[in-house]
Amino acid sequence: MATTYDAIVIGSGACGGWAAMELSKAGMKVLMLEAGSHIDPAKDFHHTFLYQMEYRGQAKPGALRRYAGSERNYRIMLDSSENPYTTGPDTVYNWGRSRVLGGRTLHWARASDRMADYEFKAASRDGYGLDWAVSYADMKPYYDRVEGFIGVSAAKEGLPQFPDGVFLPPMPLNCAETIFTAACKSLGWRSTHRRLAQLTRMHNNRPPCHYCGNCVNGCDVGAMFNTVAVTLPPALKTGNLEVRTDTVVARVRMNNENRAQGVTYIERNTMKSVDVDARYVVLAASTLENTRLMLLSAKGGLANSSDTLGHYMMDQVGGGGVTGILPKLKGGPSRLDDGKSAGISIPNFQNIDKKTARKDFIRGYVINATGGQSEYPQFAAALPGYGSEWKKEVKSRYVAQARVWIAGGEMLSQKENRVELDPEVKDRWGIPVLKIHFTHSDNDRKLIADFQEKADELFKRAGGEAMPGMGRGGPTGFPGAPGSPDVGAGGQGGGRGGRGGRGAAGGGRALGGSIHEVGTARMSASPKDGVLNSFCQTHDVPNLYVFGGNAFPSTGDKHPTLTMMALSARGCDHLIEQAKGRKA
Amino acid sequence: MLPTRRDLVDLAVRAAALPGAAEFFATWLRAAQEHQHDAGSTGSNAPPEPPLLLDYVPKFFAADDFEALQAFTEILIPTDDTPGARQARCAHYIDFLMQASGDVPQTQNAWRDALKAVKETGFHAADAKGRAALVEAMSKPERDRSATHPAYNAYRLIKQQTTFAFYTSRAGMIGALEYKGNSYNASFPACTHPEHHTV
Repeated sequence: MATTYDAIVIGSGACGGWAAMELSKAGMKVLMLEAGSHIDPAKDFHHTFLYQMEYRGQAKPGALRRYAGSERNYRIMLDSSENPYTTGPDTVYNWGRSRVLGGRTLHWARASDRMADYEFKAASRDGYGLDWAVSYADMKPYYDRVEGFIGVSAAKEGLPQFPDGVFLPPMPLNCAETIFTAACKSLGWRSTHRRLAQLTRMHNNRPPCHYCGNCVNGCDVGAMFNTVAVTLPPALKTGNLEVRTDTVVARVRMNNENRAQGVTYIERNTMKSVDVDARYVVLAASTLENTRLMLLSAKGGLANSSDTLGHYMMDQVGGGGVTGILPKLKGGPSRLDDGKSAGISIPNFQNIDKKTARKDFIRGYVINATGGQSEYPQFAAALPGYGSEWKKEVKSRYVAQARVWIAGGEMLSQKENRVELDPEVKDRWGIPVLKIHFTHSDNDRKLIADFQEKADELFKRAGGEAMPGMGRGGPTGFPGAPGSPDVGAGGQGGGRGGRGGRGAAGGGRALGGSIHEVGTARMSASPKDGVLNSFCQTHDVPNLYVFGGNAFPSTGDKHPTLTMMALSARGCDHLIEQAKGRKA
Repeated sequence: MLPTRRDLVDLAVRAAALPGAAEFFATWLRAAQEHQHDAGSTGSNAPPEPPLLLDYVPKFFAADDFEALQAFTEILIPTDDTPGARQARCAHYIDFLMQASGDVPQTQNAWRDALKAVKETGFHAADAKGRAALVEAMSKPERDRSATHPAYNAYRLIKQQTTFAFYTSRAGMIGALEYKGNSYNASFPACTHPEHHTV
């Protein structure tokens, strides 16, 4: 007879890892199912120089059409030819995904900002959308718990819209960031070190960052938070956690008592179908994959009495920004500027109260800025000329690079932005894929246009000189990369090429996303308005929890991962209490 | 910033003082050793170029096209007081990339067209001085938008890929730009310049 677990956790990213740790520590027998393969950062992540790789960090020509990644990290990304998605006719959306033990925590940007009540209760303030079913007071203990465990390096600022937390010392600012900080002061804007889940000293038996700058390619020592190095070891130590990788969950199975019975998964390589049962099922497979599973598990969608499942999809608005150089730094010595992959944050300072209310748009955004030497001089090919003088100019500008970008621009929730099951397309395992319908609103465009004005203002005050062709990523002409002749602008799974000069926000182009997809199973005080309650438990199925960005009724302007984890921690407490009060 | 021996000893002592830290510290040290990621792996001590290009025999371009491409890349990025396209073997790398681009025939075709356009300017048959003059003429639209040249697109394509091949090579990244990242550091170097604290 098959084992019945106390809980099945689907997914091993930030939320799945946290849930597995909390539940197994509480004595529950937990099965974690991960669709991707096992990876060992200490063995599989190499701090290679670009010239040590055949394709210089770009992946084999043509392969980037299948992976959102580079030669360094594409192996931990999802192969979109195996698990595609489709889009509606007006939709331009790049869904960046991973399928690997640890999920996106292996290569995330690590930004860890707390959301504030002006975001949780934004609907009450400006009348748009739905308030969150939690307040900052509800979330604070869980933010404290998560930050205290994973380690967040940051400085306290005392700003209500940017709540302080349990911080390790911040990372020092480099020259470009120091200049941008001075520019902020001159403009009367508050700025601070980017808050990062990256250690600046030994913490919970993990070594501090060694400033190699390879964070998004996977940290080999676990100095940046990721599931494999941080939450899985204590979970496995309990002896209560079993991890099965290469297991593609196809659906949640229900019993006759309106409870989840367990799940059916397909072994990734053998295609064998397997049923496993549990008292509780936790979906933590990433926001949209969670919703896909609920859509797959019942006609009309599981736990969908509100008819909101799949709706209100959002992703923080991207686009715009400025790249260029800071002439003050031109011609200086080469320095380790990109070793921390950090920068400064300028918390939102508009639409946080009546005094700061804008008439032309609602909600807000966080600005980031950084600069200095980088691994590759993205701007060089666009710099006119050639020869020795050109080489000298490249080197002179190389150390003076600078950029301002939007860290989190709030996108308004709209019911028509939604995901559904594609009636025709299936993945490699025969499971229907998602079809995404996603467009931006006028408010989104106005918000980005305002950001662009502020970004220009900041860059100018810092003395910057805007330049085209700068930014991160490889050259646009690399075979198979975005912008090359063989890949259209809407190609799936493309890497993120650099933005050049002044961004094109508001100029009629589609706005970008931030790989911060949230919503589609929003939380609500009333079961009529959403799929989840404030504990991320479904209103309709008491033993089904959904951890990820699904619960977000709005995006806020902070990077979402820390809030997703705090919601997961809160949900785990609730689940454990429920489990204690119920007979096995 | 390179760690001193004292930094390492201090770190080891701090690590050993924490329960369970020895395992993590061992992982770190192992990673440092296995990935040449120790105190000596920055600057001129960065790992050597792999043998890929040293023994590479061109496969994609015809011999005369390859010779022309090689000369073109060395005009674009000459060897001066720092290494250039010759040391970085940029033409070899471009050939390697093109022969590996069977799945992207549009790119291969673009390069065939580019070399054809270059050949039609007389570049292949020209001497060094003539070639330099031809590149100068081809590049003019880059500086003067009213100018045109039938091989301008070829110039841009070759320049773009040569730039990539050079600055991702050891010669370009370490030799010319003195890249400091991808190294083991005990701390992050903060800005210490008073002039950067004001605008």
